[in-house]
Amino acid sequence: MSVSPLLKIENLKTYFYSKGRQAFIRSVDGVSFEIRRGETLGVVGESGSGKSVMALSVMGLVGAAPGVIAGRIGLKTDGVQKNLLQDLDDYVERVEADDRVVEVRKDVVGWQKNVERLMAMVRGKTVAMIFQNPKSSLNPFLSVGRQITEAIRLHTPCKGKAESRERSLYWLERVRMDSPRLRYDNYPRALSGGMCQRAMVAMALSCEPSFLIADEPTTGLDATIQSRIADLLAELKADLGVTTMLISHDIGIIRRLSDSVAVMYGGMVVEYGPAGKVMAAGPESGHPYTAALLASVPDERNIRGKEPLQAIPGDVPDTIHVPDGCRFFGRCVRVTAAVEKECAGRLPPLSEITPGHAVRCWLYGES
Amino acid sequence: MRKRYVEAPGRTDEASGLRFFRKSEAVDLFFVGYGLLIVVLVAVSYAAGVFRLLPHDPEAVNLDLMLAPPGTAGHLLGTDFMGRDLLARLILGIQAYFLPGLLAIAVATVPGLALGVLAGYGAGRADRVITWFSNLVDSFPRLVLILLVIAAFKPDIYFIMVVVGLTNVPATVSLVKVKIRFLREKNFIEAAEGLGLPRRTIVLKHILWHHCRASLIIRATLGMGEAILMETSLSYLGFGVQEPTPSWGNMVQSGANYFLQGNFWPSTVPALAILLAILGFHLLGDGLNNLLERKAVY
Repeated sequence: MSVSPLLKIENLKTYFYSKGRQAFIRSVDGVSFEIRRGETLGVVGESGSGKSVMALSVMGLVGAAPGVIAGRIGLKTDGVQKNLLQDLDDYVERVEADDRVVEVRKDVVGWQKNVERLMAMVRGKTVAMIFQNPKSSLNPFLSVGRQITEAIRLHTPCKGKAESRERSLYWLERVRMDSPRLRYDNYPRALSGGMCQRAMVAMALSCEPSFLIADEPTTGLDATIQSRIADLLAELKADLGVTTMLISHDIGIIRRLSDSVAVMYGGMVVEYGPAGKVMAAGPESGHPYTAALLASVPDERNIRGKEPLQAIPGDVPDTIHVPDGCRFFGRCVRVTAAVEKECAGRLPPLSEITPGHAVRCWLYGES
Repeated sequence: MRKRYVEAPGRTDEASGLRFFRKSEAVDLFFVGYGLLIVVLVAVSYAAGVFRLLPHDPEAVNLDLMLAPPGTAGHLLGTDFMGRDLLARLILGIQAYFLPGLLAIAVATVPGLALGVLAGYGAGRADRVITWFSNLVDSFPRLVLILLVIAAFKPDIYFIMVVVGLTNVPATVSLVKVKIRFLREKNFIEAAEGLGLPRRTIVLKHILWHHCRASLIIRATLGMGEAILMETSLSYLGFGVQEPTPSWGNMVQSGANYFLQGNFWPSTVPALAILLAILGFHLLGDGLNNLLERKAVY
């Protein structure tokens, strides 16, 4: 496929300024990847690795909090590639020292206005998002149906009252909500978590976006509902072919739904490539973090053999005082004497080990 | 939210004998009905004033019938020290409050809403300026401010109510500001933004209409009660509505002189009216709040 990608993120950096600690929290620190039309990209990583902040940056929802977004988010809308972070630099003065932002002065009002202007044509129309915590992402004061109808009237040519009602009932049926006509008039508190998530999916899809961001769509739901929501997403993917960025720390759903996978750690992509290659990695291939992540998924040996679960020792790295070397260095079990000096001292580049499959690790050299 | 449906184990509603009052909806409707009755009385007052339906002219002095007790032929509630019919004065006295009270509410609500939204959504500077001014207004003793206005202009009830409204602006501002601050962090507001809803819709519909209306209605109905009370206190000082125009406040004041002589009705009748009206407005607000907010559960 030589089609230009639908979404192309280049060197995205989202930093928040922590007043208390007088330092930047590098939530997303130089992320690059692209998603082609019809493809599903799985973004996986443990909590605090910057997955959600990355998604919110794409939506322009990071807000006016003192911080900074830099880089390029290219999104194709109506056949034209548009940079969602265009002109934002005019409102920000950055002082950088060796590729790291050290000081920022920001015109918050102008910045916010510009974000609103750029995103007005994008949110809902081109990109829709399914948020984590479905129960709290629905307005408790409006019936579920009215919330979906509101989205439909805003973003599709369906403007009439009866017409948009029919349309939202169609979507409620589409996401396999049981008795949609009854649920239409229900308030979110009357719905179970799984139903709320179905309603959120219906709301996102009812805008007919070309790009969908699903931010941990199964988090907070119980296991049976999780697999049902995964079934639903798989079904919708097959039927509608909507381009999706699927963010999750559930390896199972990522493995099942995505075409390519980006593994994030400490605000960076540490491995990126086709799902088959990244997720098939055995203990000795790919990035050590990916291998450790895959090994921590419970399998036959844990369930039948009563072996203890494999955990990754240590903690997610501090994103304020980032180390000079590899961010996984402190927890990595595959450091060899040959590369140890490099691992501790220099950040490894994201280098391709096979075409399309890149790993950020010194074990694979610098090629 | 109050939970009203919780039942204590081993005790049924029937047994408690309070079955009607356990059904919160019925109670709320009763409250609202009581409040609406007052609104009807206001309408009656205006109609009576315009169409001259009152049996007596409220300002007509009849020195033959001074301080006639309630039940005197032709004077259901009796007469005051100048022989004026109390019922007629009571009915027409409503007019002294109604429009001025509405004015006070409007003055407190409209700028309060606008400034509250600005402070809640605006960047740090707007918030700081508005909060500073709110504190300034709040720190000023209200009665002193009103007396200043009376001294500078004239003891006009409309002037007074504008001042009462202005002193209530800070409360509205902080109410709206706090609501917005609280809600904008909520996931569903972020989700609405992510869905591409314009900020105007989010602020006006999702925040102000769906989340603030109940508090604002309560504030408004309480404001009406407060306006009545304020007029009464000012009348007592002689600054409220001026004789011979009747208002409940100046009726209480003039009647109080005869209270200890055993002629209790000229002051007690309007005082009871004040009590019932203020209670009515409070219950109206409470009932409306419960009816509107029944579905709100966070």
